[in-house]
Amino acid sequence: MDAFDSLMTGFGVALQPAHLMWAFVGSLLGTAIGVLPGIGPALTIALLLPVTVKLAPTAAFIMFAGVLYGAMYGGSTTSILLNTPGESGSMMTALEGNKMARAGRGAAALATAAIGSFVAGTIATLALTFLAPAIAELAFVFGPADYFALMLLAFTSVSVVLGTSRVRGFIALFLGLAMGVVGIDGPTGQARLAFGSPDLLDGIDITVVLVSLFAVGEILYVASRYRSAPPAVNPLSGGRWMTRQDWKRSWKPWLRGTALGFPIGALPAGGSEVPTFLSYTIERKLSRHKEEFGKGAIEGVAGPEAANNAAAAGILVPLLTLGLPTSATAAVLLAAFQSYGLQPGPFLFVNSADLVWGLIASLYVGNLMLLVLNLPLVGLWVRLLLIPRPYLYAGILIFAMVGIWGVGTSWMDLLLMFVIGLAGYVMRVYDFPIAPVLIGLILGPLAETQLRRALSIGEGNPLVLVSSPLSATLIVLALAVLFLPMLLRKLKANA
Amino acid sequence: MSATPQRRPWWLALAVIIIGAIWLQQGYVLPDAAGYGGVGPGAFVMLVGAVLILLGLTLMIQIARGASFDPQEAESAEADAAPSYKAFAFAAAGAAIPLLTMQVLGFPLTAMLSFVLVTHAFGSRRVVLDAAIGLVLGVICWAGFSWLGVTLGGALPLAGW
Repeated sequence: MDAFDSLMTGFGVALQPAHLMWAFVGSLLGTAIGVLPGIGPALTIALLLPVTVKLAPTAAFIMFAGVLYGAMYGGSTTSILLNTPGESGSMMTALEGNKMARAGRGAAALATAAIGSFVAGTIATLALTFLAPAIAELAFVFGPADYFALMLLAFTSVSVVLGTSRVRGFIALFLGLAMGVVGIDGPTGQARLAFGSPDLLDGIDITVVLVSLFAVGEILYVASRYRSAPPAVNPLSGGRWMTRQDWKRSWKPWLRGTALGFPIGALPAGGSEVPTFLSYTIERKLSRHKEEFGKGAIEGVAGPEAANNAAAAGILVPLLTLGLPTSATAAVLLAAFQSYGLQPGPFLFVNSADLVWGLIASLYVGNLMLLVLNLPLVGLWVRLLLIPRPYLYAGILIFAMVGIWGVGTSWMDLLLMFVIGLAGYVMRVYDFPIAPVLIGLILGPLAETQLRRALSIGEGNPLVLVSSPLSATLIVLALAVLFLPMLLRKLKANA
Repeated sequence: MSATPQRRPWWLALAVIIIGAIWLQQGYVLPDAAGYGGVGPGAFVMLVGAVLILLGLTLMIQIARGASFDPQEAESAEADAAPSYKAFAFAAAGAAIPLLTMQVLGFPLTAMLSFVLVTHAFGSRRVVLDAAIGLVLGVICWAGFSWLGVTLGGALPLAGW
């Protein structure tokens, strides 16, 4: 069955009324949380995880996909109207978009962001449709050593790319790895680092860690440095919508942004910071209106927004085909798969074809829904910003408690929530990246399994880890990634 | 940026080293059942612990050299502002109170207490109104998520509900 037939089957799944409804719920929720401060897509999906008890996997993943894409749309709305990027991928959008909004061109900025996101999301989903099965096919030949090398590459790249300091990135990663080993060791049945607590024998749940780091840590941090001045929202009314010239200046950045965002998002280094940043730099170099950059150039909104959305689709490629998460959101999605007893990877395309293709088809559907939700309804979304901050953050804590208490009504989880929440506060104050903790926590046990498997095959000889050309290449790449930041710093210096 | 005085958070590096040491020691005492690969349950734990110690030492060197630690940007927050430890304490209490009350008072009342503490941390002073909103939100969450199949315990375990 080729990709096109599979996709049609997928549309058959995604277009069922119940699934359409879940896609709609996800898109709605995603946009709302993208607009609201303090909560991102990763946290939202983590809080929705308990719901998977009752929901069929296909419906749940269609909803999660809506949240993932919706958050991108919502994030661009706040960065344009408020100059507060809700997530790191919208930082570049805020740069030009907010200037446009101040000049009364907010409507045009929002339109180019929304349409650009739609174009990029659709093209990137198309690329995902045809690329993912091919990669999944390749992944069948991966041995344990290859998987281990691949995870090593993911470890070094997330630690290096996310955050400002490599040492702090690696500390975050290894704290995640450290939490990952807690619990019963699969192959031997030994209890590890449970400190005599029966609750810790099952290991530390990723929902607990994620919710504590993102929600509790954020609440503590914002509370300690709270700025009670109400946010200054740029007025929307009165501005002109996209003019003919705006369209002419937007379409090329959309396509270029997509071309940057998808492949970079698909790499194990992943993330949306690098492609949005590159897109902004390139657009500034290529623009015929260089003088407008820094004062509200539409290219500077169109390109990075497209790159951001394309990267979000790109992240799904390694996740679905190799089971490799490259962002916090992807890590939670992997946890969601695991809670259904599914392991993403080549076999997912064979054993759960309906689920995978329904998910991919729902990305097309969700993109269209989001365009419809966002173009005319922006005014409504902005109202969400009027929720008083005390209620917003206190409400987030209650939802965090639902997420954590709901995992297993365990007192130990509440203790972990408090301790890890404090750690999340410290990490924010001293500028440690948070995503590597989650990647380490979820990938660590998988990496350990592959490592031990590979060493068993090699009868203890560590050279087995570089015995195949693929694993050797990946390990070399992982080492090379350590030196990537210097290159990036040079790029930033030139920008 | 701001004129924040240089911070030298030695304790941070020390904490990383201590965590690493605990993991290293705990990995070491695990019985060795290596099997074919020569890698038992403790090896990976020890590796993680050893690397954490190395990273902690590296961080210490960076601190000694005066590495900068700029607080991260967040919405509604002033990264450069002097932190209010009173607000922090109230918010932290909101996160800690479930440890005391969740098993006795149940989810809705715990949610109410947390809500009041956090809104107070954010400067709200209408305690009764905040408590009412928190209780309503707690009840809705408890009922709604229980209906969805998420176990959140009894509504008021103390009364046997």
